[in-house]
Amino acid sequence: MSAALAAPRGIDTPTEPMIDVAGLVKVYGGNEGDTGEGVVRAVNGIDFHVDPGEFFGFLGPNGSGKTTTIKILTTLLRPTRGAVKVGGLDVVERPQDVRKLLGYAGQSIGVDGDLTGRENLRLIGHLYHLPGSVVRDRVEELLDVLQLTEAADRPAGTYSGGMRRRLDLGSGLVHHPPLLFLDEPTTGLDPQTRNAVWEYLRTLHRTERMTIFLTTQYMEEADQLCQRLAIMDHGRIVAAGTPHELKAGIGADLITIRLPQDGSFEANRARALALAHTVPGVAGAVEFEQGVTMRAVHGGATLVEVLRRLEAEKVPVNEVAVSPPTLDQVFLQHTGREMQVEEVRPASRGPWAARRN
Amino acid sequence: MAATESVYRPAAPTISAPAALGSAGGIATEILWVAYRSLRKLSRSPFLLFFTLMMPIIWLGMFSQTFGTVFERATNVPGQAPLPYDYIAVLLPGIAVMSAIQSAAQSGFSMVSDIETGFMDKFLVAPISRASVLVGKTLADGVRMAAQTAIVLAIAEIFCVAFGWKIPFATGVAGCAMIVLLVAAFGVAFAGLSNSVALFTKRTETTMMVSFTLTFPLLFLSTAMLPYDLLPGWVQAFSKFNPVSYIATAARTLILTGWNWTEIGQAFLAVVIVAVLLYSLAVFAFRRQTA
Repeated sequence: MSAALAAPRGIDTPTEPMIDVAGLVKVYGGNEGDTGEGVVRAVNGIDFHVDPGEFFGFLGPNGSGKTTTIKILTTLLRPTRGAVKVGGLDVVERPQDVRKLLGYAGQSIGVDGDLTGRENLRLIGHLYHLPGSVVRDRVEELLDVLQLTEAADRPAGTYSGGMRRRLDLGSGLVHHPPLLFLDEPTTGLDPQTRNAVWEYLRTLHRTERMTIFLTTQYMEEADQLCQRLAIMDHGRIVAAGTPHELKAGIGADLITIRLPQDGSFEANRARALALAHTVPGVAGAVEFEQGVTMRAVHGGATLVEVLRRLEAEKVPVNEVAVSPPTLDQVFLQHTGREMQVEEVRPASRGPWAARRN
Repeated sequence: MAATESVYRPAAPTISAPAALGSAGGIATEILWVAYRSLRKLSRSPFLLFFTLMMPIIWLGMFSQTFGTVFERATNVPGQAPLPYDYIAVLLPGIAVMSAIQSAAQSGFSMVSDIETGFMDKFLVAPISRASVLVGKTLADGVRMAAQTAIVLAIAEIFCVAFGWKIPFATGVAGCAMIVLLVAAFGVAFAGLSNSVALFTKRTETTMMVSFTLTFPLLFLSTAMLPYDLLPGWVQAFSKFNPVSYIATAARTLILTGWNWTEIGQAFLAVVIVAVLLYSLAVFAFRRQTA
C-alpha cells in the first residue's frame, strides 16, 4: 500500500468520469469464449461512464447483470475482460486505492445482528482508520439522520427490515466516501420506508454532490431518483440516457380507446383499428381485449382527430385515455417483453432473529 | 427521515480525507478491531460462551473417570512404587489441546456466516488487508482457547485440593502460563484449516465435517492421550509427524517434571510450520473469493 496516496487525478475536472467502463465482460465458471454447462455470461460487453456528482442507475430484472457489475466496480469481483476505472484508478491494478473512494450497501444487508447499531457503525469507522473522536461524532450524526438513535444500543438483529436497510446504508457512509454504490437499496421494503430512503438519498445527493450509483428493478425508483440510467437485460445495456430521453425515445404517448362490450364489440373494434391507421400522427395501433391502443407523438391532438373520425363512422366509445410514455414501455420496446419484478427476500428475519444464542 | 437539510457533511474536497488513510494505524489496528468484533459477538451469546468454557471441564471429568483405572493398571509394575501422579496429570495437556482443536475446527463457521449474511462484503470493500480479516478472526478464537485452557488448568488444581487428585504442576503458575500460550498458539495455527475449508466451500456443514474428521485422528494418533511409551508401534511412528504430539509432550513435561526448553522450542516450531502451511492455504482461498 502506498504510504501517501496522491489525490487521484481528474476527480475535480468534470471531463474525467468518476466511473469509466469499457468492454466489460464477466463470465462465471469459465473464461471468455467458453460455452457449456455451468458457464454463465453475466455481463456481456458493456460500456458506460458516470460523471462526478451524478446520480446514475442500472435498471433491469433479476439476472440482468446489475449486481455483477456493481461487484466489479466495488472490487468485490474481478472482471473477465474490459477496462474498469473508478475515480480514474484501475480496479484490478489498484483495488486498495479504489476502496478508499467508495461506500457500498449491498443487496444482502451487511449488518452484524449480534452487534448494536452503534457498534456496527463504529466498527466500520475504525476499519477505515478514522481517529476515535471522528468515529464517535460521525456515528452519532448518522444515527440521528437515519433515525436510529433510539434503537442504537439494541442488537441489529432485533431491527425491522427498514431499520436494517438504513443501518446498512449508514455503514456505507461513515467514512464520507465521494462515491456511493447501492445494490437494490429498497428491495423488500414497504412503500413508506422506500419513500423515506429515496428522500434521504436525494438529500444526500443534492447537498453533498455525492456521486451515487444505484441498481434497481423498480421503474419508479429509477425514474424518481436517477439523473441518467442504463437499462440492462441479459448482461447488455439495451438503452441509456436520462429518464426523459429514454421515454422521449419511445417517440409517442399512448392512446387507449375502450369500446362497449356489447354484441357488436368485435366488429366495432375492427373498424376502430382500421380507422386508427388512417389518422395522421398515429405511429402504430394494436387491438387488445377491451379495445384499441395506439402510439402518437402528440397524444392530445391526435386523440381529438381519432375521436372525430370515430364519431363520423358511428363507432361507439366507452372510455378514452392518453398517457405519457413510461419506463415500462421503454423496457418493453427494447427487450420485447414486460419487466417482471421478483420479490425474493423477506423484509426481516422474523421473531427469532433476536434470540440467537 | 432526513427532515432537515443538515444531514451528513463530508469534507468538501471529499477525496483528501480517505486518501490519507492507510498510513495511519496499519494492519495491527485492523486486526484488533476484527478480533474485538468477534469477541463482542461471543459475549452476546451467553450460551455459546458458557458451553465453550464448560466443554474442556466435561472432557476432564469424563476421561479421568473412564480411563484412569486402566492407566493405573497399565503403569503399575509389581515390585515398584506406584507413579506419584494420576492419569489425569498425564491427560491434562491432551484435554487442553483437544479443546483448542475443537474450537479451531469451528473457527471457519463465522467465516461462512459472514459470507452468507453479506457482512464479509463490508470487510472486503474496505481498504484493509485481507490477512487482517483472517488473522483478526482467528486471534479472537485464540483468546477463547487461552481462556478454555486457563480454566481447565484452574479446575484441575481445584480438584487437587478438593478431591486429592495428584497433579504435580512441576513448573507452577509460570509453567501453566506457558501451556496456555502454547495451546492457544497451536489452536490459532490449526484454525487455518477450518477457515480454508470454509472459504473454499462456503458451507458450514462441510467445514464441520472436514474439521471434525481430522480432529480425532490427530488427537489419538499423537501423544496427547497417552505418553509415547504406552502407544502401539505404528502410532508411535505416526505421532512423530503429528504436530499435536509436540504440543502435548512439551506441556506434559511442564506439568510432570519441569522446564525443558528443547521440547518447548520444538513445540513452537511445530506451531510455526502448521501456521505457515494452513494460513498460506487460507489466504489463497480468501484471494479466490474475489476472483
